[in-house]
Parts: sequence; C-alpha cells; structure tokens
Amino acid sequence: MNRAVPAPRSLSETLKFDARELNSRRTFFQLSDDDLARLKGLRPFAERHMDDVVEDFYRLILSHPEARRFFPDDETIRRVKRLQRDYFLQLFDGVCDLAYVENRLRVGAAHERIGMAPRWYIGAYRHYLAILLDRITADVPDPAEARASYQSMLRLVGFDMSLAIDAYIAANLDTLGRHQAAIRELSTPVIKVHDHILLLPLVGAIDSERAQQIMEAVLLRVIGEKARAIIIDIAGVPVVDTRVADHLLKTTAAVRLVGGKVILTGISAQVARTIVQLGVDISTMYTVAELSEGIELALGLVGKQISTGAT
Amino acid sequence: MSQRGNIPILRVGSNLLTTIHIDLHDTIAEAFQEDVLVAIKNTGAKGLVIDITGLEEVDTYVARILADTGRMAALMGAHTILVGMRAEVAATLVRMGFAMDTVETALDVDDGLAMLQARKALGRK
Amino acid sequence: MADVVQRWEMPIRTEDDVILVRRKARMLAQERGFDAFATAALTTAASELGRNALVHGGGGGALIEHLADGTRSGIRITFVDRGPGIADMARVLAGGYSTARSLGLGLSGTRRLVEEFDIESAPGAGTKVVICKWTRY
Repeated sequence: MNRAVPAPRSLSETLKFDARELNSRRTFFQLSDDDLARLKGLRPFAERHMDDVVEDFYRLILSHPEARRFFPDDETIRRVKRLQRDYFLQLFDGVCDLAYVENRLRVGAAHERIGMAPRWYIGAYRHYLAILLDRITADVPDPAEARASYQSMLRLVGFDMSLAIDAYIAANLDTLGRHQAAIRELSTPVIKVHDHILLLPLVGAIDSERAQQIMEAVLLRVIGEKARAIIIDIAGVPVVDTRVADHLLKTTAAVRLVGGKVILTGISAQVARTIVQLGVDISTMYTVAELSEGIELALGLVGKQISTGAT
Repeated sequence: MSQRGNIPILRVGSNLLTTIHIDLHDTIAEAFQEDVLVAIKNTGAKGLVIDITGLEEVDTYVARILADTGRMAALMGAHTILVGMRAEVAATLVRMGFAMDTVETALDVDDGLAMLQARKALGRK
Repeated sequence: MADVVQRWEMPIRTEDDVILVRRKARMLAQERGFDAFATAALTTAASELGRNALVHGGGGGALIEHLADGTRSGIRITFVDRGPGIADMARVLAGGYSTARSLGLGLSGTRRLVEEFDIESAPGAGTKVVICKWTRY
C-alpha cells in the first residue's frame, strides 16, 4: 500500500510504556534481577544449543499445515531462523530495560503486519519452552538448579509474550483507525471547483454519525480554503427523510456561522416536500434542482460568472 | 476609549473592530457588551466587526450576549458582522439549537470589513 | 465496564471557578486524544452546567473523572448544587424555559452534546447532573 509514513515514533512511546510500567510489569511477572543474572549465567548453554533449538522450533512449527502458510519459501525460512537465533540469545543477555521492551514490541507489531494472530505465537512460545525444558534438564545435573533456571526463562518468556500481545492489539487498533479515517475521507469528498467555491457530492445513505462527519469535514474545509460557498449535491442520496433533511439544515446553519454559504443542489420533488414539511424557513436557503445551476449560483455569490459562448 | 472590560475596541474608518482574545465568563461578556454600545455612541460608527477567532468555546449564554449586542448595535445604527468562528464552535452551537440567526457572519476580519464597505457603497443603513 | 483512572473535585462558587472547571475538562480532553469537535462539545457542556450550578443552584461543586474501558477514554463530569432544584423537569429539558441566563436552552442543548446525560432534581433538594463523553473509534 502506498501511504505517507508518519514520523517514526517508538512503540513504547505510543503504548505509554515508561519506566514505571516496566517496573510494574516486571513485578507482576516476578521477573527479578536475580532471574536476569541467572539467565546471563546460562549464556554459554544458550550459545551451545542455539542452532539446535532454532532447528527444532521450526521443525515443529512448519509441520503444522496452517502455520506453514506464514513461511512461503526457503528464503523466508532462512531469514526468520536468523532472527530467531538473535531473539534466542537476547533472552540470555541478562538485560530487561526499555530498549529490550521496544525490541519485543516490534516483534509483536511485525506479527500483526503479516497477519499472524496471537494464537500462533502463543503456541510457538509453548514449543520454545518445551524445547528449553528438555535441554536444561539434560544439561544441568542439579534438579533444583535446572528448575530455577527454567523458572527464570518462563518469567522472561511470559513477559515477552505480554509485550507481543500489547503491540499486536495496538497495531490492530491503529490499522482500524486508519481504515476508518480513509472511509471518512471517501464518504465526504470535498472538491475545490473554483477559488472560494467547494463542492461536496454526497452519495449513499446518511445516518446520524455520517451526518456529523459531513458537518465537521465541511466546516474544516470551508475555513481551510476560505470558501465563500460550498455546493452540497444530494442527488446521490437515496432517502432524504426528515432526519437527513434536519442534518443538512444544521450543516447549512453551521457553515453560515463560520461565514460561508451552503447551496443545496440535486433536490427532488420528494426532498422539497420533506423540507417544507419540516417547517423550515427556506427564505435564507440557497437551493436549486440541478448541480449546474448551483455552480452558477456559487459563482454569482463570489462575484464571478460563466461567459456563454465565444465573443 | 474608556472601557469597563479589557477587550480592546478599535476604530477602523467609520467602523469598529473588536477582537475577543480571552476566556469569557459572564461578567466579562456583559462588560464587553456595554463597552461596545458606549463606543458606538461615542464614535457614531456605522459598522462593527466582532472577531472571535480566539474563542475556543462559546456557550449559549455568551452566544446570546453576542447576538444581543448585534441587535442593540443595529438599534443604534451600526451593522454587526461576527467573524472568525471556529469550526468546532459552530458545530457545537448548532447542535445545541442555537444558530444565531440574527447575526451576519464572515470568514475573517478582512471579509467582514469588506462587507461593511460594500454596504456603505450601496447606501444601506 | 469503565474504570475510573483519576478524579478531581473542584468547587463552583464564582465565575472563575466555572472557568477553571472548563479548563480542566479541556486539558484532560486534549490529553486523552479527543478531537477539537468533541473537546468543544464537552467544555461547552461543562460551561453550561457550571453556570447553572452557580446561578440557579447558588454554587456547588464539580467532580471530573477520567474513565477507561480498555480501548477508549472517557470523561465524566458531575455537577452538584444545593439550590432550589427544578420543579418542572420536562419543560426545562424540552428547552421551554428561557430565563435571562438560559437554563432551558442550556440544559436541553447540553444533552445533545454528550453521549450520557443524567439529571436528578427535586424542589428544595438541589440538582445533580452527570455528563459523560468518550473518544471516538
């Protein structure tokens, strides 16, 4: 998709993940500095098993036909394996600060981008832990020590999982918000037809929510473009009942308040009837049947006129 | 010009221009109304532009004072144009059912003054 | 279910107090990501109700609460006064009263600016009005 990319902002910032939140979450996951120190001590163990663990991990994931869909070709698989090795080693860095958090949040956001829902990576994390449990019990002879090591891993992996899910949800909401903004924009396509003259061709049904969006978009554009007049063509609105008519009249009144004028065009006999039945004072309104007349009227209002024929 | 309130009222040719730039509460709004009427009396101004670009909210009471000021000014021979209303203020007033029908409006100060000039040229009162 | 994240109690004894309530509401609305239209609707409603509490209720207080329901932020404001109360509520809410300080239009108009509007009043027992507005999504 081709879209203007906003200035980069860290995910921790977007999610308001600050030092206080870091502290609170580590406490909840019982992730202490002792755990981090223990994991750092296991670094040689991690380096020794890194390649095997990652191989095992992908063997399990790729054996599931649906999970496999996320890895279309060998190149992708090679790339994610490389990333996975980095990820795995970071578990044994003995560091859990805001930079670590940012890194983990990016993992969650990346999953949202490829459409991988949380159920997949929660399952993947489980595979991870199962593999680690086998290795640690085989490698560490003292059962108490092995158990403590596994507990530390469990805490950090659980912590990671919570971050990935936070990021996934935030990215999802963000996508939703952008789609809604795009729909809003499409549903109120305000066009500049001339200096100080705007045109809004309305198509489709108008409910209260859309009516409010229309009013807001129209007001912002009228002020932004210093428009003296905006033509609202309602020929494409299938039903203009008293509620829709009332919304249009409110928009007209609001545009008047900011110093512009609304010209309503595309008025059918039925709409005329509805507006009169509302008991509205139409002496102050500009309404015409056809869009072309509306444009002429608007030009007249800003002191211009269309010359007919070559002279 | 001697004033009760602290909203400046300037003379521009035969018209008055006033820019409301502070958070209005009722007493300030009432003082403003009186100041404007006194200024019209003292100057014999034929037009008045009230610029509310700086107002982030206008409730029904302040809207009523502004509308009433325009009608009172009209009784004293001055035509009022309200300019610079923000989009969100207009939307809010209309939703509340207060469309200030009696007041003429313009986009900004320049447009407002130009409209007063045009009226003068037409010889309207 | 919405949780109360933070709350502020403010007195309404003077016109300046009303301004302070509406400024607090504006700051909070902007901080919580309300757009300009929603912010103006909320602060204008606060202005109307603050004036009512001061002028018709002889003063009282406002409670501003920041709410969260997981995905959205809300702002709830409760205005309480110990004034004479409202005898003919139906008429006031229909916008029928038009006293010098616009109680009628103020209340009926305010109702259209917010998502939740609740009013309790009885003659002699004061008035309590609760309004609430949420970020859009």
